[in-house]
Amino acid sequence: MNTDTAISESIEQATDSVGSVWPLHSFVTANPLAGFEDRPFHEAVERAEDLLGGDGYPSPHVFRQAWETGRIDPDVLAEKLAERGYEADPEASLDRLESRADRTPDVETAETPADRVDAVLTKWLAAFLDQGTATWSMPDREQGFYAAVRSVAPHDGDIPDGSADAWPAAPADAIERVLDDQPRDAWPAIFEHHLTALPGWTGFIKQRAAADGAWQSTYPITLAGYLAVRLTLSDLFDAQVLPAEPVTDAEVTDDDGVPLEEVWLSAWEASYRSELVEAVADRSATAAEADGGRPDAQFVFCIDTRSEIVRRHIEAAGDYETHGYAGFFGIPMRYEGYDADVSVDACPPIVDAQHRITDRPTADAGDRTAYDRWSNVRDAGAKLVKSLKANAATAFSYVESAGSGYGLALAARTLLPGRVYDARDAADERVPDDHEICEPSVDYNPDAVTELREGLTLEEQVEYAATAFELMGWEEFARLVVFAGHASQTANNPFDSSLDCGACAGNPGGPNARVLAAICNDDDVRAELRERGIEIPEDTVFVAGEHNTTTDEIDLFDESVPESHADDLEQLRADLETARAGAAAERAADMGADEDHGVRETERRAADWAETRPEWGLAGNAGFVVGPRELTENLDLDGRSFLHSYDWSTDDDGDALEAIVTGPLVVTQWINTQYYFATVDNGVYGSGSKVTHNPVGNVGVYQGNGGDLMTGLPLQSLMAADDEPYHQPLRLSTVIHAPVERITEVLADHEAVTELLDNGWLSLTVVDPQQDHRAFHYDGELTWTGHESIEATAATEPSTAEASTEATADD
Amino acid sequence: MPLTEQTMTEQTGPKTVGQLPNTSTSTPLAPAVFTRLVWTLFVASLGALVARQLTGGHWEIPGLAAVDGLTVLLWVVVTFFSGIVHSYSRRYMAGSEHITRFFTRLFAFTISVMVLVAADHVALFGAAWLAMGLVMADLIGTVRGWPQARAAAALARRYFLASSLFLGAALATLAWATGATTISGILTAVGTVPDATLLVAAGLLLLAAMVQSALVPFHSWLLSSMTAPTPASALMHAGFVNAGGILLLRFAPVVTADATFMLLVVVAGATSALLGKLLKAVQTDVKRKLGCSTTGQMGFMIAQAGLGFFGAAIAHLILHGFYKAYLFLSAGEQVEHTSPATSEPGTVTLVGGAVTVLTAVAGGALFALLTGKGTHFDSGLLLTGLISLTTLHATWTAVRHTDVPAAIRYGVVPLVFLPAIAVYAGVYTAVSAVLAGVPLVTAPAELTLVHGLVAVAFLAAYVAIETGLYQRSRRLYVALVNASQPSTGTLLTATEEYNEY
Repeated sequence: MNTDTAISESIEQATDSVGSVWPLHSFVTANPLAGFEDRPFHEAVERAEDLLGGDGYPSPHVFRQAWETGRIDPDVLAEKLAERGYEADPEASLDRLESRADRTPDVETAETPADRVDAVLTKWLAAFLDQGTATWSMPDREQGFYAAVRSVAPHDGDIPDGSADAWPAAPADAIERVLDDQPRDAWPAIFEHHLTALPGWTGFIKQRAAADGAWQSTYPITLAGYLAVRLTLSDLFDAQVLPAEPVTDAEVTDDDGVPLEEVWLSAWEASYRSELVEAVADRSATAAEADGGRPDAQFVFCIDTRSEIVRRHIEAAGDYETHGYAGFFGIPMRYEGYDADVSVDACPPIVDAQHRITDRPTADAGDRTAYDRWSNVRDAGAKLVKSLKANAATAFSYVESAGSGYGLALAARTLLPGRVYDARDAADERVPDDHEICEPSVDYNPDAVTELREGLTLEEQVEYAATAFELMGWEEFARLVVFAGHASQTANNPFDSSLDCGACAGNPGGPNARVLAAICNDDDVRAELRERGIEIPEDTVFVAGEHNTTTDEIDLFDESVPESHADDLEQLRADLETARAGAAAERAADMGADEDHGVRETERRAADWAETRPEWGLAGNAGFVVGPRELTENLDLDGRSFLHSYDWSTDDDGDALEAIVTGPLVVTQWINTQYYFATVDNGVYGSGSKVTHNPVGNVGVYQGNGGDLMTGLPLQSLMAADDEPYHQPLRLSTVIHAPVERITEVLADHEAVTELLDNGWLSLTVVDPQQDHRAFHYDGELTWTGHESIEATAATEPSTAEASTEATADD
Repeated sequence: MPLTEQTMTEQTGPKTVGQLPNTSTSTPLAPAVFTRLVWTLFVASLGALVARQLTGGHWEIPGLAAVDGLTVLLWVVVTFFSGIVHSYSRRYMAGSEHITRFFTRLFAFTISVMVLVAADHVALFGAAWLAMGLVMADLIGTVRGWPQARAAAALARRYFLASSLFLGAALATLAWATGATTISGILTAVGTVPDATLLVAAGLLLLAAMVQSALVPFHSWLLSSMTAPTPASALMHAGFVNAGGILLLRFAPVVTADATFMLLVVVAGATSALLGKLLKAVQTDVKRKLGCSTTGQMGFMIAQAGLGFFGAAIAHLILHGFYKAYLFLSAGEQVEHTSPATSEPGTVTLVGGAVTVLTAVAGGALFALLTGKGTHFDSGLLLTGLISLTTLHATWTAVRHTDVPAAIRYGVVPLVFLPAIAVYAGVYTAVSAVLAGVPLVTAPAELTLVHGLVAVAFLAAYVAIETGLYQRSRRLYVALVNASQPSTGTLLTATEEYNEY
């Protein structure tokens, strides 16, 4: 085995310990412990704690709060404590948790050689990985990270003078030089040690190398290059090259007991779950089958937890039907906005972008000219200011000439944030929006020379439309059908993308909605759909829209709506205003603000530069209900549940179920674990408090002066106050409305999902409409609590087993 | 079942499932109280400024404090910045466990600056200077349990203690040499002090000013101070660092006594101005970039003082305060999705070139006419030259944007930039008017070879940056990166240390 192979194989083995970190402008949701998902949850968090220093469970303080406010059912807790052989008294149990946590942490203050390695390394990482912040960038970046550091090293007085051959030309030789004495089978552990030393930066490198975007192809960096630099520096600084003590898997698995925290956490989850499952099972038994009558309009929202709130208020405002579907509307596309410099992958990272969609101008020349002129002037102005500020000789006079203007803006934005919103709104009115002058390039363009095919063929268009309606179980279409993507609106917020659509990889969902609406309005597509048994009436018009999750305003992109539907649209707009007022009031109250002025309050938050909590995002998420809306209609789930529409009775072959279980279910688990871990350890798995954030390189944030890149959600996205969580750190409770056998079949085919369930990264409960609407809880290895009789052969027979499900046991 | 939160109102609405707890966070009193207080002080200061301008009154507590034009002007300025930072922080810092301490420090800082600019007794002046430093160091370490914040606060504290020592030594020297214990007493007796003693005192004052204004080579504390919450940084960069300029103006008769020493002030300031900008060029994080910019801007401000234009220095620190406070408070806005490709600027036609030159001349002429700087053959020419260069550059940049309609391209500078110069001239004139009566507000120096060299250095820097010439040196790049590194102990390299407290 040559050195290169040994290095890449060792990296392969070590790299799982570091979670991928996406650049901040497209905040992709991911489980920071994704690399540990092949282990049971409690083992995974223990291993991660060894390597990364992060806590894996909520603090005893959080458990105590939950216990004292009655969120943990005493019976469930007692049962779970007994099951694991812990003493049954909750108070004593809490005391025990607290006494163990009281150990004062040993934070080393003395500077070690490893600290000096970190300081030099983070300095050059920040310089190399910069995406356009510095006006003078690191030299020789195009040759790769190792070569670039090698070229600056002779000038860097902070790096000890090594022998002449300390920096061989090839990174592999550098690694080989330092690890010469180490057997090759020890390399993975050594690499793991060095990759987890600065997990923020290495996670970013890992993602950047894998995604291979424009920056990576211009200035390449690899984990091998990183390790070559780090090992060389460690050698030169006499820092420890080997891990303190080789931690092996055997050591971890020695202790196979389930920790007390796990018991408390699962009792808390079960308490929430039983409430949710009970309500759903209840509705399953009583909900009337389709009430007949065509609704005035149908809405499709993202499965995002925030949709639950606005959907409830829309349904209350008129005869409307709402549905939940993944917010990228099933279209894996790379989107390039009109006059945008960059294109974005508007689909979850679970799928690869397959179509290139570009915004092409359509509208009459007048609008477009106005738009172009405005954006060119704005760009030119920004460049002028940047150039004046950048030049040493002009920056001083610029500050003197422009200072008074900054003073006025300072006062206005601080003292009148609500008026700032109005001013921006008014400015937006004057300039046409890009959706008014453009349409997405939906049709397949065989001549386009791009990396990805431009547009979609007719077959693909039909497929995406059919999939959408089949997954949601649709059989009826209203006169107006609205596909509503979503995006947030915030000011002065480096984490704005974390509030955008998670299913669109942290991008706004409007463009995807427009593509699906355009597809569904196409006559050829409708004809093909009719062939497949999906009958869309002549008078049905599809409209795309975007739900502003900060202000709950729903912007309809209605350029293509025919005159015949003008009245419907007008009524719809009026009702959406009503719904918005209700939703905004509810969300203002959730943020501890005055609900009587909900709309105004949310508008202020959208525009206020001093606001660190513009909206709660997906904080609070704990459940995922897959089933028809009838199951959750008239329930207030308090914005805590993802909702995916699904009708088992129209899904005979189980294909739709399979698609949901392998797609949205996995993505919601990512979102949920991201919120969970950022809440239980905001320093290691989150980004810490916004008030001391320092954005770096257009890719991330530092805490304070610099060091490692912070990853994950900031404190203010999760906590109502420094010591009071708003997000309840619970693993996702999934509830699927379908025959249990069918789900067993799907799980049997998809090991990855089953592994997640078996290892306790999320839970699954099935409400079986064929078995008296009873609930069965997934119990690992394809078995279900209270459903022992399930065998492939007896699948169709209604079970007679005693109902001892979790849903009903605790009442 | 935990369904205890069912309330009366919900009985009519949909059934609630798994409701989140009410997060009724307690709102402490301090933010509201101090915010009202500081705005009250702002209104009072504004009143004092107007009253003083109308009556020309000179108020004092003999031997302790004296209120002159500089005092009321800076009262208005510091209470404005502080008011903005207070109001901003009420929302920004909501939920922070440090909020009460944070607001008491913000307010204490405001009071110490107000005392400093009114102090006449040297001991009171020295004490206010020290208090200002200690409170600012404490703000840098607002997050108590965070080791890196503690290290940054300790570093800043050492610098501020050193500047207080320099100041203390200067004040002691002057008091001993003149026998006076008040600043006004010392200044009236400056003529009786031997030149050598005066030079020592001036040197000490310059050192104190350089530390407080974070001039090179004393910029390290500023570049390691980002552990401070953003609004505290805004106040630091809009308020605290100005102390250097205020000190030099307060003791202008001492500092200007020796014309050669003034050249030293110019060189110290200009060096920092150019180096600060060069340091800024290599920064990749937003706040340190702003920090380097402050080092440069403060250098320019000190250089203006060295040229004898103390009024211009005060105007600069006020306007820079607006600018830098704005950029800090909006630091979160500066994350953008970029691509590595760079766009080539368009070419300039003959007409464009003519417009450029004419506009630049007009800019310089307007500036000279409105401010009186540069109308004589003295150091003011440097400032006028700089404004012409800036106008030239602005026009040059604008006319190259060929995708923008010609009317806007050629019109933007005459229509936007020239009025902006007029606004600056207005601010400068107003500041000078308020400062009338403060000893030696404007004392232009004779042009010397050193002034010529400074002018050449600025021109050379301009050309080097425009052509990208300086970017050829790896050695310079590394030197700049290393010179702007925060102290190692203030770097959070192990994120688990962030909340292990």
